[in-house]
Amino acid sequence: MPNKLFVVNLSNFKKRKEMPSIFIVDDDESVCRALKTLLMTYDFDVKTFNSAQSFFDTVAHDEPGCLLLDIHMPGVDGWETQKRILTSGSKRAVIFISAEKLDNAADRALNVGAVGFLQKPVNAQTLVDLINVSSKN
Amino acid sequence: MKKPLLKKISRISQEEQIRLLTKDLNIIKKQLKRGVNREKIAKEKFRGEVSQGVDREQQGADREKLGAGREKIAEELSRLQSDEIVLKDGQLREGVDREKLAEEQIHIRTKAMESTFDGIFIIDALKPDFRIIYANPSFYALTGFTKKEVIGKNYFLLYGNTENSLLVKEIKQTLLQGKIFQGEMLHHKKNGEKFWSLLRITLVRDKDGTITHYVGNKTDMTLMKQRNLEIEVQREELLHVTRVGKLAEFVSSLAHEISQPLTAILSYAQAAQRMYAGREPQLQEILQYIINDDQRAAEVIRRLRYLLKKTKPSFEQLDINVLINDTITLMMPHITAKNKVIKFEPSANLPSVQGDRIQLQQVLLNLISNSLEAMELNDDARDLLIKTSFKDADTLLVEVKDSGCGVPEENMKKLFGHFFTNKPDGLGMGLSISRSIVEAHGGLLEAKNNTDRGATFYFTLPIILKNDNEQC
Repeated sequence: MPNKLFVVNLSNFKKRKEMPSIFIVDDDESVCRALKTLLMTYDFDVKTFNSAQSFFDTVAHDEPGCLLLDIHMPGVDGWETQKRILTSGSKRAVIFISAEKLDNAADRALNVGAVGFLQKPVNAQTLVDLINVSSKN
Repeated sequence: MKKPLLKKISRISQEEQIRLLTKDLNIIKKQLKRGVNREKIAKEKFRGEVSQGVDREQQGADREKLGAGREKIAEELSRLQSDEIVLKDGQLREGVDREKLAEEQIHIRTKAMESTFDGIFIIDALKPDFRIIYANPSFYALTGFTKKEVIGKNYFLLYGNTENSLLVKEIKQTLLQGKIFQGEMLHHKKNGEKFWSLLRITLVRDKDGTITHYVGNKTDMTLMKQRNLEIEVQREELLHVTRVGKLAEFVSSLAHEISQPLTAILSYAQAAQRMYAGREPQLQEILQYIINDDQRAAEVIRRLRYLLKKTKPSFEQLDINVLINDTITLMMPHITAKNKVIKFEPSANLPSVQGDRIQLQQVLLNLISNSLEAMELNDDARDLLIKTSFKDADTLLVEVKDSGCGVPEENMKKLFGHFFTNKPDGLGMGLSISRSIVEAHGGLLEAKNNTDRGATFYFTLPIILKNDNEQC
């Protein structure tokens, strides 16, 4: 079965010097906390949000940092969040993370300018590699 | 059938004839008697005259006279006799005419019985062995038995095997109790082929009320049954697709719900592994087991998802009215069984829509089933209305309106969510699947409570604008 769990599109990488922070937007609190714990062991500075709205309310569009974005969320979903980020003129690197198995999610994620798409549960090394690649660019 | 009627008719005319003839005979006898009397008188007269000494000539003349008298009597007699013959002839002719008329009627009735599609047979009820005395051609055609195998034979022998012995017993009992039998059953033809038939046996009584004959009527139900069966199969198929769809949706939701904690577990374990990197080898091993099993669970879910992958909809041009009609046909036995009434008000000249036939039928089936269930507890609530119309120039509207219990306001928002149900055995998938199907068709599925009673579920579908080609 063609199962694209890990997709990277280099052309979507935004040029920036460093990636000081990681933002996580996921409506599942446990997922947020676990990913934060994991990424902190890699010395990332991690902030979590349970909704896109609270992310937009707290983080300015030009504040540097990579975004781990869940797709299925009540209210503003992942796709809508990415659309808003793009229209705000932000150059934020976005990695979609979803528990949903969507046939064309990986392609769609790249098409809307994301850095990648990861299927939950996410393997730590895969995630960190993707974050590192995107912050180097 | 033919013989007894004839007998009756001829019996009447015979009696009549005998009565008339006896009457005539009496008249003749009287006349003859009168003739004999005359002769007697003449003889006495003659004797008296002789004794009184009348001359011979006179005697001779008298004798001649007497002879003439005798001749006259004989003449009269033969005239009377020929009259009688004429009279008899007339009566006979009249009888023949009547018989002819009766025969004509019998002929028509027999023809009618012979031309009907139903298998008709007559059993002699006066004999104990249910002997068949008549069967029409359709009966032979229907059962595959020949006249030889039927006439004079016990009707129930045609049932042959013991498979139907209960049925045979029931029919016999019903008839012996002087009741009409009717029932639908699977009959066997002579060649063993089975066919569905509606059997009705009525009773024929004579003047005294004694049952003289049983008249059976066998109607072939095969076609009707087949049609019903086809409908049932189609409905089952659709329900199966719906069930599979529900299962897929269920698994997908379940997978999503389980993936979240699996994500958390994996991340926590991997975080702990890193925190204790190079230390605590036993803890490291345990953490690795947690990670392995987490990934195993994730793999199971991936496979499940793959197995129950939703089939891609196949879009075609559809006439929504035809589709609704088809779905109603499928649901009709169900609706009738629940003692509900469905009404369809199609808007004329609706253009076709682009859609997946099976999926849209699933939506309709789901909405109709829900409506029926909403009306289930209330016998007054019987009316289910399906309506199609233009919402605007580019959109069709399909409404399913019931007169059931309606939807409590607080449930309105949750109605289309996964796992929401107020049925004890419901999965809570029907409406959420229906909504995602309608949305995949570019429409919207919504619900509202009616102002009087019940609820209306309605969905829109975009109209494809026709080019030059006719809609299909």
